[in-house]
Amino acid sequence: MAGPRFIADPPEAAKAVALDGLTALYHRPSGLTHILAPPAPQILAALAGKPGDAAEIALRIAAEFELEAEDAEAAIGARLAELEAAGLVRRA
Amino acid sequence: MSDVDDKPSEEGGFRPSRRTVLVLGAAAASTVVTIRPALAQTAGSVMTCEIPIPAPSAAGSFISDDGSVVAAGTPGAHPPLARPLKGEEAKQLLQSGIAPPGVDSRSAQAYAQYIRRLQAGMSGFTCFASLQMPR
Repeated sequence: MAGPRFIADPPEAAKAVALDGLTALYHRPSGLTHILAPPAPQILAALAGKPGDAAEIALRIAAEFELEAEDAEAAIGARLAELEAAGLVRRA
Repeated sequence: MSDVDDKPSEEGGFRPSRRTVLVLGAAAASTVVTIRPALAQTAGSVMTCEIPIPAPSAAGSFISDDGSVVAAGTPGAHPPLARPLKGEEAKQLLQSGIAPPGVDSRSAQAYAQYIRRLQAGMSGFTCFASLQMPR
């Protein structure tokens, strides 16, 4: 059940700007800018300085949002792989 | 896990409207696009990127003085560059007017005009755009 655990940099490591439903995110440590679509920004927020696996992330996000997904963990797992490839989360 | 979104609120099962629905979407959907300006990589990439003159799709065509691509053999136009221009050569040409080795200055100016007229989607444009960015 427990998948890999990830962690994101604390919120002050990035500057985010909302853009019509998307989020432009400047990641200070890497100097790269990313355009994120939901739920990527929410996953980053759920992991900011707090390690967690897909199940924990789903719980954290569900505290603020109604989650709509057939398989929330699988969907979050796929987003985590993307965020890891982009260097925005790392294995905890 | 499937019940995380079914937590009853304090009113007992009623979902308050202030909670925003977050669609997690299909596993295959992509949600992260990283913007990678050429210069965000290393200065080395600027030196090594290449601008073919003209683009491979117009191979053999000549370049007129104003930088437009014209038919091969057009009088007054300049033959294609035998090899793609390296980023560093293009930079020197555009900024200082220094012709690449083996290129006469009039042809070099025509090539410079050609580079300036490059547009998104044309071969060499990304390289040209990276040259325009301040260091």
